[in-house]
Amino acid sequence: MSAMDTDELPVVLPPTHTSGLSLSLHPLPILNISEHLTRLRLQTNSSLPFALGALLGTQNGREVEIVNTFELAVGEDGATVDQAFLIDRKEQYKQVFPSLEFIGWYTVASRPTAQHIALHEQFTAYSSTPLLLLLQPSTVFAASSDLTAQTLPIKAYEPTIEIRDRKTRSVFIEAPFTVETGEAERIAVDWAAKGGEGDNSLESHLNSQRAAVKMLHDRIMLLAKYVTDVLADQAVKDHATLRSISALIASLPASEHRDFRDEFDTEYEDVQLTAYLATLTKSASVLNDLVDKHLVLTATREDRGPSAPRRRGMGGMGMGMGMMSMGVMGMMGRHGDWDRFH
Amino acid sequence: MASSSSTAFKTFSLTNDVVEVSPQDEIYRFDPEANRTLNREQPWARDPHYFKVCKISAVALIKMVIHARSGVPHEIMGLMQGKVMDRALVIVDSFALPVQGTETRVNAANEANEYMVQYIQGSERVSRQENAVGWYHSHPGYGCWLSGIDVNTQMTNQKFQDPFVAVVIDPNRTISAGKVDIGAFRTYPESYTPPDAGSSEYQSIPLNKIEDFGVHANQYYPLEVQVFKSSLDSELLGLLWNKYWVNTLSQSALISNRAYAASQLADLAQKLTKAQTAISSTKAPAPSLKDDKQARVCHSCQLSCDDILTVFDIQKEEKKKEDQNQLLKSVRDSDKIASEGQHGLIAQVLKDVIFSMRPQDAARSEVSEIMDTTMAIG
Ligand SMILES: [Zn+2]
Repeated sequence: MSAMDTDELPVVLPPTHTSGLSLSLHPLPILNISEHLTRLRLQTNSSLPFALGALLGTQNGREVEIVNTFELAVGEDGATVDQAFLIDRKEQYKQVFPSLEFIGWYTVASRPTAQHIALHEQFTAYSSTPLLLLLQPSTVFAASSDLTAQTLPIKAYEPTIEIRDRKTRSVFIEAPFTVETGEAERIAVDWAAKGGEGDNSLESHLNSQRAAVKMLHDRIMLLAKYVTDVLADQAVKDHATLRSISALIASLPASEHRDFRDEFDTEYEDVQLTAYLATLTKSASVLNDLVDKHLVLTATREDRGPSAPRRRGMGGMGMGMGMMSMGVMGMMGRHGDWDRFH
Repeated sequence: MASSSSTAFKTFSLTNDVVEVSPQDEIYRFDPEANRTLNREQPWARDPHYFKVCKISAVALIKMVIHARSGVPHEIMGLMQGKVMDRALVIVDSFALPVQGTETRVNAANEANEYMVQYIQGSERVSRQENAVGWYHSHPGYGCWLSGIDVNTQMTNQKFQDPFVAVVIDPNRTISAGKVDIGAFRTYPESYTPPDAGSSEYQSIPLNKIEDFGVHANQYYPLEVQVFKSSLDSELLGLLWNKYWVNTLSQSALISNRAYAASQLADLAQKLTKAQTAISSTKAPAPSLKDDKQARVCHSCQLSCDDILTVFDIQKEEKKKEDQNQLLKSVRDSDKIASEGQHGLIAQVLKDVIFSMRPQDAARSEVSEIMDTTMAIG
């Protein structure tokens, strides 16, 4: 494949050119592209079929968020995007997700080539700077077991114009990106990663918290090691990095503001009150059970059926329940119900 | 399709003629011929219990969950594309429909008919060959089950375009439990009476929905929901975790789901008020000895079989009693609310300790305190 583009200029500018975009990418588009590729591999029996799709997301100035994708159809020649199809699909997605715009397009290749520039020209009608998202085929995956050392086989490119020999041409600049998730999205991705296993027990909750804290710890240790090395003159002093580290430390403690503290404490007390009331409800139920059993026992002894009239401390029960309901109402900020229960 | 006949990109594939397909990915293969044969034979038409499992691909699942969450507080709906594999309905993809409020309107999907037809025709053009095999909709905050209207919709679907499955997602419970709350259902034919409903796993239903839930509960049955992913998905998911782990720390279920938590408490308060009046009718099961049977003694443990039977009877009785006892149900509900609250709080306190405490602060006691509470609730 390199045979056809060795005589051409590279279409990606060297890393000295940086993109000013602040780009965030959601897991869904990544998994969509993965699914598209897997499906095409099975249908075409080739390991690197031509997959093409559109990126949907939001753009606010230089801030771009890619949240969804859809597949695109290509004309007979395999290089012309089916414009009518693109417009139809774009409209269909607009109806169900009105906030999402056409942001760019994706394909699968190890790096951008002249063909991608040709495709790029066909998207400029829908966005002045359509981004390109590239999924790099499996060669990228190293066999390393240390996942933290690996990066996603995904690259994002922003188009731009280069002037060379008094001629302009379209080129790409690599744009760094971060991965963002919505809360529901994260839970779904986590769940899918575990294969639908796992429950909402305390253990699994603590495990996921622990995994995240450990990750944080590992990264902090990495920074600490870097600073130690710099101090020992064993690492190159990168002022930008050092400034970031210093800013990070200066921002701690993160939340000493009084309003925050108040709200945090309120939240804390609310949750603990819920726990207390739940325990109270449980006790009421256990007590009820005990009374029931006691009645059966005494009824048998006195040679009466279990349907005998019951003597029980309903007053006490009512108190417990009333407190529960009252507490619940109180927590929601409605105090008017006090009288109803007393 | 166009992609395979493309000359410009053929050079790509020529270098790699042999494709290794991992067994994990075989489920993504679609055989139109086998699919036609199966649709002609319709083995599911003969057995009202034919389908046992609903397998959902990672992308289909994530799309549905995001769609459901984006609709809160409204209900949303969409369609699922897939196929039949043995006794399983396999969902490979899903798409949203432009309709809202599916609980109040019969066959809301009909309003989106044109959209549906167009979308599916488009899918064929991009080598998505699977047919529509189901619909999904959301129940924000009231659990996964089929309402009366849902049952009617699903019955019609099964009559006219079987194989078809109904999937329900609760986006609010997904957030509060930190786990996808999803159910897949098939209805029974109208003439069919299920042998024994058998109490399915308990779930909390809000008071204002209980009637709708109870009346139709015997008209459908749940399928086991499984998630599948490709080998490439697995690799990507592993790598993605390196990127989005921060969100595990930065998001808080306590805050993002506050409205739902309050509504749960309000519902529980109502249920408890109701339980207060019903409490006098709860009864302990009377231990019944079966005199007509000869006591067969179990040699090793000196326990007669009848004793064991009695124990079973009591357990069964207690199970039945539990189904009726509003107080016991409320205990479960309050336990769930409380432990989910604790889970959210643990995350908050951990963050507070990590990001806001000076090392000399007495952070330790606070953590152990909350852990104790959580352990106690379970
Ligand atoms: Zn419904």
